[in-house]
Amino acid sequence: MIPKSDLRKPRRDVAVVGAGMTVFARRLQETGKEMAWEAAKQALDQAGLTLDDVDAVIVGTAPDAFDGVHKKGEWLLDGAGGSGKPFMRVFTGGGTAVMTPIVGWWHVASGLFDTVLVVNEEKMSSVRPHAQSAFAHIWDPILDRPLKPNLVWIFAMEMQRYMWTYNVRYEDIALVAVKNKRNAVGHPCAQLADPDITLEDVLNSEPLALPVRRLDISPPSDGAAAVVLTREEIAYELTDAPVFIEGVGWCIDTTMWTNRDLAFPKFVARAAKMAYDMAGIKDPRKEIDIAEPYDPFDYKELQHLEALGLAEPGEAAILTREGKTQRDGELPVCPSGGLLGVGNPIAATLGIKIGELYWQLSRQAGPRQVKKDARTGVAQAWGDLMQFSSVVVMRRR
Amino acid sequence: MAFFEPMQKATEPRHWLGDMEADHYFYGAGVMGQRFFEALRDEGKLLGSRCERCDWTYVPPRLYCERCFAELKELRDVGLRGRVKAFTVVYVNKQGEPLDPPEVFALIEFGPNITPFLHKLGDAPPERVHVGMVVEAVLKPPAEREGKITDIRYFRPI
Repeated sequence: MIPKSDLRKPRRDVAVVGAGMTVFARRLQETGKEMAWEAAKQALDQAGLTLDDVDAVIVGTAPDAFDGVHKKGEWLLDGAGGSGKPFMRVFTGGGTAVMTPIVGWWHVASGLFDTVLVVNEEKMSSVRPHAQSAFAHIWDPILDRPLKPNLVWIFAMEMQRYMWTYNVRYEDIALVAVKNKRNAVGHPCAQLADPDITLEDVLNSEPLALPVRRLDISPPSDGAAAVVLTREEIAYELTDAPVFIEGVGWCIDTTMWTNRDLAFPKFVARAAKMAYDMAGIKDPRKEIDIAEPYDPFDYKELQHLEALGLAEPGEAAILTREGKTQRDGELPVCPSGGLLGVGNPIAATLGIKIGELYWQLSRQAGPRQVKKDARTGVAQAWGDLMQFSSVVVMRRR
Repeated sequence: MAFFEPMQKATEPRHWLGDMEADHYFYGAGVMGQRFFEALRDEGKLLGSRCERCDWTYVPPRLYCERCFAELKELRDVGLRGRVKAFTVVYVNKQGEPLDPPEVFALIEFGPNITPFLHKLGDAPPERVHVGMVVEAVLKPPAEREGKITDIRYFRPI
C-alpha cells in the first residue's frame, strides 16, 4: 500500500500563466458557448499560447437545469476549446470556481499533461422566471420541498446561528458588502460596483429573510472565466513571474444540512488544512498575504476567513470593522470586489477567485492592485448544498 | 434486505409525485445566430462564417472557430443548394405510431469544407433519396418567415 503522505506529493510544479473573464451581467445576446470562448481566448492570449498548445480542457458549469440543455458540459465544449482533446466537466456547485483549477492542477501535476485550459461558464438568465426555479430542486423532495424552501432563508438561518454563537453584530457583517462593492469599482467586469455605497444603504435595504437583506447577497448573473495552467519549465519560458499553485484541498460535509455546525464550517477548515499542508504553510495568519474567500453573502466571507485560519471564530467581523481586510489593509480580502461586487455567475466566479489571485500575485491587477507586496494568497469557493469547499494556495516565488 | 421487500403496488410505498420543470427557458441565438436568422427571414439567405486559417466554414455561422479559436468575422452566403451527405427515412413517430408518408431527414453539404446542415427533405420519395443527391431549400414566403429554422420548409430534390 502506498503511504498516505505520498499521495499528496505532486510529481510536477504547476503554474497559472494566464486568466480571462467576461463582463458579469444578464447577457441575453451571447450564448454560453460564446461567453466561454471569449474568456478562454483572453486567458490563452494572456499566456501567449494558442489552442494548439493546450493538451486537455476542463469545464465547470452548473446543473443542466440552469441553461435548459442536457449534457451542458459537452454542449459548451467547442466554446471552451475542448473539441478533439481530452476533456472533462466538473461541477461542485459554487465550489466549482476553485475546484476546476484543482482538477486542472492534477492533470498537470500528475505528469499526464503539460498545459491545461480551465473554462468555467454560467448562464443563469436562461431559466425563467428566475434561477430560483432551478435551486428549488436541490432539496430533499419529501422533507424539505413541501415547505417550499428558498436558498435565502436557509442561509439566513445559518447567518443567524453564526451571529448568535460568536456574538457578531449585523452592522459589522454588512461592512463586508460595503467593502466588496466598493472594491469592485476598479473591476472591468463588475455588475454591482458602487463607489458611494454606505453602511446605511445595506442596513436599510429590503429585508428578504432576516437577518439577510437585499444588499447582503450577490445576485444571479451570466458570465465566463478561464485560466491556463502549465508545468514549471513551460511557465518560465512564457513569463518571468508565473504564479504557482502550491497547495490544493477540498472537502464535503453531510448533505443533511440541518446536522452541520452552522456557525463554523468545519469542511472549509479541513479543505484549508489539506491545502496548507501541501503548501508547507504552518501559520496562515503570518504566511498568507491576500485572500479571496467565497463571498456570495457578506457573512460567508467572515465565516470562511475564520475557517481558513485567517481569524479566530467570531474575529473576522472585528478585523473588518478595524479596516484590516481593506485593499490597503494588513490582509486584503476580496480585493477583486468578490461575488458581492463583481457578481455571482456560479462557476464563472473562477475569474474573481483564482483569476484575481493570479493578477494580484503577478502584479497585473491595475487599479485593484493591493498596496503590499503580496506573494502568497489563498482562494476558496463554497457550494453544493452549502456543504462543499475547495481551497487553493498560490505563490509568486 | 430492503431490495427484496414484497412491495408490489405503486400505491403501497409512501411516496410523492413531483417534477423538476422551470416555467420555461430563454434560448438566445447568440451574436452570430442573430445574423443568421435575420438574413434567413429578411433576405432568404443562408449565411456561414469562414475561418481563413482552417479553410472551414460554419453553417449556421459561429463567432469563433472551434479548431483554432480565431474570431470569425467574414460572413458568406452559402446558397440554398447542397448535396445529401447522410439521410434517414423515419417510419414511426416517438409513440411508435406509423408515419404516413414517412419523413426523410438529411445532412446537407453546401460545398467542400462547409459544415453539414440538418434539415428534412420534402417532395422526395424515400426510394429516390441517395447520398450525393442535389437538393435545394424551399423557403416559406417572405411574409410568413419569422426568423426560425422552420422558415426553411424542407429541402427538395432538383
